Amino acid sequence: MNMLLRQQEFQTVLDQHKKILYKVCNSYCRNRDDREDLAQEIVVQLWRSFGSFDERARFSTWMYRIALNVAISFYRRESTRSRYVLSDDGQLLNAIDETHQVSDQMQALYQFIAAQDPLDKALVLLYLDGNSYLEIADVLGISETNVATKISRVKQRMRQELSGSTQA
Amino acid sequence: MLNLEEMKEVWAAHDEKLDESIRLNRELLRSVTLKKAHSAMQRITLTLSMNTVIWFAIVASLGSFISHHIGVLWLSMSAIILDVYAVTMLAATIRQIVDLRRIDYSRPIAEIQKQLESLRVLRIRITQLALLGGTVVWAPFVIVAAHAFLGLDIGNAPWLWINVAFGLCLILLALWLSKAFGERMGRFPFIQRVMNDFAGRNLIDAADFLSKLSEFEAERQR
Repeated sequence: MNMLLRQQEFQTVLDQHKKILYKVCNSYCRNRDDREDLAQEIVVQLWRSFGSFDERARFSTWMYRIALNVAISFYRRESTRSRYVLSDDGQLLNAIDETHQVSDQMQALYQFIAAQDPLDKALVLLYLDGNSYLEIADVLGISETNVATKISRVKQRMRQELSGSTQA
Repeated sequence: MLNLEEMKEVWAAHDEKLDESIRLNRELLRSVTLKKAHSAMQRITLTLSMNTVIWFAIVASLGSFISHHIGVLWLSMSAIILDVYAVTMLAATIRQIVDLRRIDYSRPIAEIQKQLESLRVLRIRITQLALLGGTVVWAPFVIVAAHAFLGLDIGNAPWLWINVAFGLCLILLALWLSKAFGERMGRFPFIQRVMNDFAGRNLIDAADFLSKLSEFEAERQR
């Protein structure tokens, strides 16, 4: 396939799944510049891996793996990282920092996600996005039973926090 | 506060609106696909590749220097010490490139994060080795460089060996400084990283994350 066609195919398929990019960036970065850096870093990595994408697999699963892997390492990276090559030509996702459009409930939800450690963030994000336990296990590389255990633990933690805040 | 199931409903409602409210910047996307942007990993690989070329050139030059001065003990011994250091650094740099190339971001998260963190541990160890080794090998470096570039033989100069002893004391001072001030160097990220590497702070952090990853993978119903 020639380069131009590949680029067009990549852009089309990314456009169809841009919500994953938006949600991952918003879950791992609270700061606008970091979100933009992360979005670009994910897209660069997606494009680099696009050639080896197995058409038999689900694009969303493949995209989640890359986006979350990049996001977790971005989150953990020491602050020595330099700025990316692209930075002055606007934003990759134009609504990525328009928090004024986000409801209070959604802000609270993003806050809840932000409070999780980087691995649990991925788990909660995948769960909220409606993925099955099997799909979550596939992206994270852990067993389905393990996913179920972790989800029930998150629920339990939330119940405890809820009862704690009610008592207070 | 909502429970997780209620959150899921709110999330789904938000998800429906996202298609309308977000737009991909086609121009930027085109720039990315035209290879105008480099990922963090590509930049690291590029830097490591340049380091490999430099270390290789140093090893080759030292090999030639040793063969020409094999009869002069001071010079050959100094060059051999330097060569051992350079070969170690070259091997460590190549190992990093090989490990980096093995990382496939489309593999499951637990597996890739483990690989990335192990690579981080390796990088920290190499920084520690470079800094600690540097305080020792600078003396043979001065001996070899003075002979090679200026034709001077300073192997017996007492000031040189006093400075070696001073260098060893400097390790202790550098360790203390890194532990005391490493975390406060936020305005100078590179210095902060090197100091934290040297003090072992980043190593502890990496070990913590690796243990969290193992726990994350292996956790079972308690």
